[in-house]
Amino acid sequence: MSSIPANETHITSYPRFIGRSLWLATEGSFGFYAWMTALTAVFLVGANAWANQVAGGMIGTNMTDQVSWGLYIANFTFMVGLAAGGVMMVIPAYLYHDRKMHDVVIIGELLAIAAIVMCLMFVMADLGRPDRFWHMVPGIGKFNWPISMLTWDVIVLNGYLILNLHICGYLLYMRFLGRKPNPVWYVPFVMLSIVWAISIHTITAFLYCGLGGRPFWNTALLAPRFLASAFVSGPAFIIVAMILIKRLTGVVGLDDPIATLTKIIRVTILINLLMVASELFTEFYTGGSHVSAAKYLFFGLHGKTALVPWTWTAIAMNIAAALLFLWPGLLSLKWRPLLVTACMMAFIGAWIEKGMGLIVPGFIPSTLHEVVEYIPSQLEWKVTVGIWAFGLMVFTIAIKTALPTLKQSSDH
Amino acid sequence: MTSTEPSKNRSLPIVENFTRRAAVKGAFATLGAGAFVAAISPLRQAAKNTTAAEFMQQHYTELSPEQKADVIARLEAETKEKYGADVTIADDRPIPGTKFVYAINLSVCNGNGKCVEACHKENNHDRATNQSYIRVLEMPKGTMDMEQGSTTYSGAVPKDDKFYLPVQCQQCDEPPCVDVCPVKATWKEEDGIVVVDYNWCIGCRYCEAACPYHARRFNWKEPEVPTKEINPDQSYLSNRVRPVGVVEKCTYCLHRTRRGKLPACLEACPTGARVFGNILDKDSNIRWILENKRVYILKEELGTKPAFFYYFD
Amino acid sequence: MPRVANLFFAGVVCLTASMFLVAVWQSGTRANLQNTRDDRAQVAQQSGVGLQPAKDADRKPEADATKYPVIIRKPSGPPRIELGGTDPQGRTGSVACSTCHSVRKPNLENKTAATLDEFHQGMTFNHGTIACYACHNPGDSDALRLADGSTVTYENVMTLCSQCHSKQAESFAHGAHGGMNGHWDLSRGPQMKNNCIDCHDPHAPSYPKMIVGFKPKDRFNEPSIDDHDHEGAASHDEH
Repeated sequence: MSSIPANETHITSYPRFIGRSLWLATEGSFGFYAWMTALTAVFLVGANAWANQVAGGMIGTNMTDQVSWGLYIANFTFMVGLAAGGVMMVIPAYLYHDRKMHDVVIIGELLAIAAIVMCLMFVMADLGRPDRFWHMVPGIGKFNWPISMLTWDVIVLNGYLILNLHICGYLLYMRFLGRKPNPVWYVPFVMLSIVWAISIHTITAFLYCGLGGRPFWNTALLAPRFLASAFVSGPAFIIVAMILIKRLTGVVGLDDPIATLTKIIRVTILINLLMVASELFTEFYTGGSHVSAAKYLFFGLHGKTALVPWTWTAIAMNIAAALLFLWPGLLSLKWRPLLVTACMMAFIGAWIEKGMGLIVPGFIPSTLHEVVEYIPSQLEWKVTVGIWAFGLMVFTIAIKTALPTLKQSSDH
Repeated sequence: MTSTEPSKNRSLPIVENFTRRAAVKGAFATLGAGAFVAAISPLRQAAKNTTAAEFMQQHYTELSPEQKADVIARLEAETKEKYGADVTIADDRPIPGTKFVYAINLSVCNGNGKCVEACHKENNHDRATNQSYIRVLEMPKGTMDMEQGSTTYSGAVPKDDKFYLPVQCQQCDEPPCVDVCPVKATWKEEDGIVVVDYNWCIGCRYCEAACPYHARRFNWKEPEVPTKEINPDQSYLSNRVRPVGVVEKCTYCLHRTRRGKLPACLEACPTGARVFGNILDKDSNIRWILENKRVYILKEELGTKPAFFYYFD
Repeated sequence: MPRVANLFFAGVVCLTASMFLVAVWQSGTRANLQNTRDDRAQVAQQSGVGLQPAKDADRKPEADATKYPVIIRKPSGPPRIELGGTDPQGRTGSVACSTCHSVRKPNLENKTAATLDEFHQGMTFNHGTIACYACHNPGDSDALRLADGSTVTYENVMTLCSQCHSKQAESFAHGAHGGMNGHWDLSRGPQMKNNCIDCHDPHAPSYPKMIVGFKPKDRFNEPSIDDHDHEGAASHDEH
């Protein structure tokens, strides 16, 4: 309290806080600058590819009228999961009062911010007319709410972004002012964000599973499956991020949260596999035309097999990761590299499963049962990698801003 | 990083070399911003193609008659500039008391594809891709499972063991494509036609994912049509040349049918398999078919309630 | 000398009259039905100029004054037979059916061109097991004949077809058979419809095979298209 001069109000101190955060976030070692420069370079390549896509039309992508959504929407779906996955830190911290988790919960919230920013960028990249995005803004545009699930998604994603910006911003601002955060100003929002995190991925699943013309998606299991895989990929990313933070910055007190998250993945990865198995059983045991997308995905259809290697890679990675997570030794400090490997396998497995394993086969065969294959074009890869680079930049800067808080907590 | 942190309780600026570091950071930020501007420079090309008037244009249903006239004049001028063709873009509204319904006699259809071609020409589709709103499936006799059909058949038709199933927009009474559109760029009009405002569509392609009949098409690039092949008889919601990046669909040729004429695909059909009419007129051809033939609809189980019927006789 | 002048004058009058008659006759004649389909189609196109409104009976009974008609294209008359040989001046010509058939005894039993020893031999006949004189009129070879023996003109051939093909005739009457052009809304414009023999050769009425000419060119669909192209090429050769 006493640290604010009497003549200063929030109106002047908040911009000071922002400036200070930016300044801090751009301070760092040579490695940090190299990392950020590399990300910037990749991001610029992506931005250029996207600009070319807008200028020349989406003919530069390999999407077709048959497979009308591809890598962008696949990544969008995955990133929603990553954003929702951050809540797996919030739940132990706030619902189970895990003190150690509480100290570092901001990492999960910052991840959510970066992931949602990426989601919005992927949606923009997928629009044929990004210049008309304002048509979607309620008030000035025409918002087809509540009928269109996409409008719900716009609401929940932006809402989740704002919630997390508020929670993180408030905590860091209080820390900047040297005050103790007032729970009234953030705990209700944290509780809301827990529910909200479930909602973003549920509604993203509803985008797909409400479409009767797409039997592969038209399953009630889609939303729970999305959540289960989100609760694998989110914590997996956070574990790797925390191991890196510990290595690079010397923040301590991360080992217990890592153990908690590992235990969470141990359960969620099995639930995810169970759901995949029950989905596949239903598909293949029933048979008929309903199964053709799954058949295409796993074995190829009419001699076309583009997705087969992808999906078996995902299955292999998911199962291998599940076995590793089940092994109790993974929790010990000396097996950290193995934990990182397991997390990366689970992460990549979930990424393939949601993208090439779920969004794309929903379109193959098409609604007229044509088998038109889809392999992302170079342009799509450039844009995608560019957005990932930007997301990592946001996440890096956010973590750097939060570092003093993390360090202070670890000093307790 | 940790070494430059002066205080553990309060985060204070690093005063010693503040200005120098700020200058370096500023320089790098400027460099980055410059590189970003260079990277997205292809957008200038795209911006050239989008006039301010087009960018600011309101939704079709909210345009006043004067605004509509301006928009249409602008579109006609744009078509002249880009395609060199003098076209008339009308604003055909539904005829009161009509609801358009289509039927196809599958016993007669021989899959020759004349309707596909007529649609292509009538609706100013992209010449490079042979785009068309109609796709014809060649199906083995004895099944209704599209899984066994093929759209890429060719040669002499009809083949003895096959029947032919043309599919285009079914103008559903419960259109999933309209429900999913986030910006109301597509809607169902009083005569049953599901239309798209090509100047409002944002190109998210959610409708393409939602349509169970593969009825929607996306303009992956600017359509290419030679000047002399442009059909100058156009309508705002129908066959005017579409902009890049938006979704389009069959409108039962509303620029013809709302003026009392038959759709282009029907006129082109050499077998007479196609029947079109107003279901509200009890003496219409289409009513006689619905009452006297055993008709069926595609994917009835989805509850889309198509205004498009198939029958064998 | 005056006799020569009278003869000359009479000759000129006769010539003019016959030229006039020929001109009128030709314009009202459609080609021989036994010609190839292509020829027929061509003639059908030409005769398309002379579209005639259907009789009131073909129109909806409640058709009010503001309604445009449904116009059914009609054959322009009895066929003409192209002569195989030439006359001494080297001219070919065509004659009416009655030129030959009026002096020949009709063979009421004949069912196929194979049993004929002169004329019509090459004709393909594939229309059930009906006899020639089921439809052709033994009494008036420039007209057709209904099942009850009454005469019907070539122009009204649809009446003849409809005797057996009542299902199709019914569908046709309701726009569910046969192609059409023009307007669906008769208060805004007329509708033009084909007649039976525009699409069906009366002697071999099954609809001919066609070649698929126009296909969407989809990206990434090439291998499949190639496969079918080979298949298509094979059947094309057969055709």
